[in-house]
Amino acid sequence: MFLAFCGYRLTFRSFRLPLFARSFHLTGTEFLFLGLLLGPQFLNLVDAETHKGLDPLIALALGWVGLVVGFQFEISKLKRFPFEYLLAAQFEGLFTLVVVFGTAYVTLPSLFEMSKPMVLVAALVLSAAAACSAQTGLGLMAPVSVTRKEKDLRLLRCISSLDGLSALVFIGLAFALRPSPLLETSWIWALVRGMAVGVGAGLCLLLLFTLLLHRRLSESELTLVVIGMAILATGTASVLNLSPLLTCAFIGMCLVNVSKQKERIYNILISVEKPVYLLMLVFLGLEWRIDAPVIFIGAFLYWSVRLMAKVSAGFLVVQSIPALRTHPRYLGFGLLDQGGLPLAVLMDFSRSFPGDVTGRVLGVALVAVILNDLASPYFLGRFLKEKGN
Amino acid sequence: MYLLALVVLGGFAFLSSRMPLESSWQRTGLVNASLGFLMLTAYACARVFSLFRLPLISGYIFAGILFGPQALQFVTQTMVRDLRLIDELALNFIALSAGGMLRMSFLVRRGKAIFLNVALQTVAAFTAVFLFVLLAGSGFEFMGHLSPLEILAFAILLGVTAVARSPSSAIAIISETRSEGTFTETVLGVTVVVDVLIIILFTMALTIAEMLLLPGQAMMLRAIGGVSLNVLAALLMGAIIGKAIAIYIDRAGYDLPLFLLLFAFSVTKCAFWLNHYTQEYVGFALELEPLLICMSAGFTVQNFSRTGRDFMEGLDRFSLPIYILFFALAGASLDLQALGNTWPLAVGLTLMRAGGIFGAAWLAARLCRDPHRHGTVAGMAYLTQAGVAIGLAQLAQRQFPEIGVYLLTIVLAVITINQIVGPVTFKAALEFVGETGKRRGSEVREG
Repeated sequence: MFLAFCGYRLTFRSFRLPLFARSFHLTGTEFLFLGLLLGPQFLNLVDAETHKGLDPLIALALGWVGLVVGFQFEISKLKRFPFEYLLAAQFEGLFTLVVVFGTAYVTLPSLFEMSKPMVLVAALVLSAAAACSAQTGLGLMAPVSVTRKEKDLRLLRCISSLDGLSALVFIGLAFALRPSPLLETSWIWALVRGMAVGVGAGLCLLLLFTLLLHRRLSESELTLVVIGMAILATGTASVLNLSPLLTCAFIGMCLVNVSKQKERIYNILISVEKPVYLLMLVFLGLEWRIDAPVIFIGAFLYWSVRLMAKVSAGFLVVQSIPALRTHPRYLGFGLLDQGGLPLAVLMDFSRSFPGDVTGRVLGVALVAVILNDLASPYFLGRFLKEKGN
Repeated sequence: MYLLALVVLGGFAFLSSRMPLESSWQRTGLVNASLGFLMLTAYACARVFSLFRLPLISGYIFAGILFGPQALQFVTQTMVRDLRLIDELALNFIALSAGGMLRMSFLVRRGKAIFLNVALQTVAAFTAVFLFVLLAGSGFEFMGHLSPLEILAFAILLGVTAVARSPSSAIAIISETRSEGTFTETVLGVTVVVDVLIIILFTMALTIAEMLLLPGQAMMLRAIGGVSLNVLAALLMGAIIGKAIAIYIDRAGYDLPLFLLLFAFSVTKCAFWLNHYTQEYVGFALELEPLLICMSAGFTVQNFSRTGRDFMEGLDRFSLPIYILFFALAGASLDLQALGNTWPLAVGLTLMRAGGIFGAAWLAARLCRDPHRHGTVAGMAYLTQAGVAIGLAQLAQRQFPEIGVYLLTIVLAVITINQIVGPVTFKAALEFVGETGKRRGSEVREG
């Protein structure tokens, strides 16, 4: 935890490193390696028992990220974006999801030995992680090139804020289609049951937090309620076999649109967002498996398919929506950064579906994340240089 | 609204406790759900309690008792054990606050009052309980079969545990009521000093009990010397850490609440590691007490740097969730069954202890020429008892299994009464002397 705290200071508050190192450093990817180093594959400083003891903290981190993600979906703010932007965001997200899902569903059984239901779940998770994009790379670009492309960047920001929505829906599906119910009952029944429990629990939690937030709370009371909310929601979601990330995102989404204290809640959430993010990287590193060459092959494939899907989605968006024709064709180049949500998706998956296969699928995704961290600044640079249509 | 929230929370707890748990992630989820449940329930209960002008801390404790293993069992004994880490964190955090609340200038100004209170109350509480157990103990069925020597050792150990206080409760109530003034600071000073003193006193009591029950094994002076050295080492280490915290606040200062939280988290583990290291590699059993380290660190930041105010504000940020969890867990750990089995003796001991404390506090106030109102209610401020006394009783239980089990049961029973009554009387005393609502710079937790 101390490492995460110090790392957060170093990573997000100082930018004096060489440019190449900066792009790697800014995303905090080194903390994945730190986790890997501390974990059972190398130093074993954080052994299985200690790791198990950290489970509540991992769950809290997931819930926290979920709430932060949910708070992005404030309808009044989203309305400020033109309708075409919202359409583009959903199309881009869904397109990437479908392409990556299809490829993963077909490819995974030939890479790893896994049951059919697990292939479905893993493909859903990988596609959900692939669909998310972020704008971390923009912080590194020269201000001149950024201001020149203000209109394009606005579109990019809109898409990268919203394409996570489809990812969350897919994560919900993955949890509803858990392997065990799938083996026992029909998938339709599993899906209906999972969705009913999910929506029911989410609504009850929302009712609870609305009751607790009915009056203006003092700062410490609000901190208490937000922490309690994150812990209770993640705990309840885990017990009910739901996704803690999705459950908290749902609550966050509702709260940001109904609560009068949304600004204050958001301030509390973001005050520890980055340390939470780095902690998550360390935890993911602890579970990271890189013990087979097939993981690297899978990772390269996954990264390539995501790249192609994003670029194609960007191209299709610009070509098919008339109002967006002025934007560059290679819009997808600006959407390769992944940010924190996919990591939370992967963490959610690895904790809820423990097993050997999960470790390998996680390995594939994390190697791809690193590939992406190395490659995305180049593509973003290309995008910023490109002229519009 | 809060009652409705309690109903919804109850529904969640009911459903969660009836879900079949197939994976370790689900079991972790249940621990998390219990933690969140306890936090929010305690908060809602406290809000309901505040309508009746009862202290918030009583609401937290009540929630722990009601939903804990003793009553509704939404939070089980295993979960309480699993959440021990929170207890440690909370105690360290509270110790930091306790140290930070003690101002050197005040200690110098009120040194006489603090010294007199500590000395008189220690003697009075110990004597009252010791004599009561010695003279009337054999009359209780619970202690009927103990030998005279065992009763003597029992009386000594119970007498010393009667001296223990609860700085955490004191700080929580002072924070809640935003109290400030001579009375408040004297109570805080006495409580914190007693918390340090009790460790030495209890080691002495253990050594005497050892001489009585296991003749030829104990060496009093060596034991006391060892404890004093450990206390000094802990205070010194706390001072060094406090200085480091002050430098951090002065030079960097950002994310202070998070920094302090992480510090409180790690100090127990570091002390444990250091103790283990010295025993393993230096051949000397150092036993640093994390609470003393934190108290000393807080005291150093407050009194030997310019950053005391920032430090206290940083602590304030996360203090409410920590207090709530700590006291709710304390409530869940209270042993009502022990109270049921031993209530005549427990009530007798509680009354004797309270009598001793009231008399001593009144006398100290008279000798210091404090306002008459202070002397009248001073005893009400010193009744709370919690973690330290339980820890000491557990230690004695391990050392003397033959009497330890009775000791632990009776200590738990007495603490149950004191922890329910103590916060209410302390709040009433603060209101009576008119020192509530006077502290500035700290937000109103009442909302």
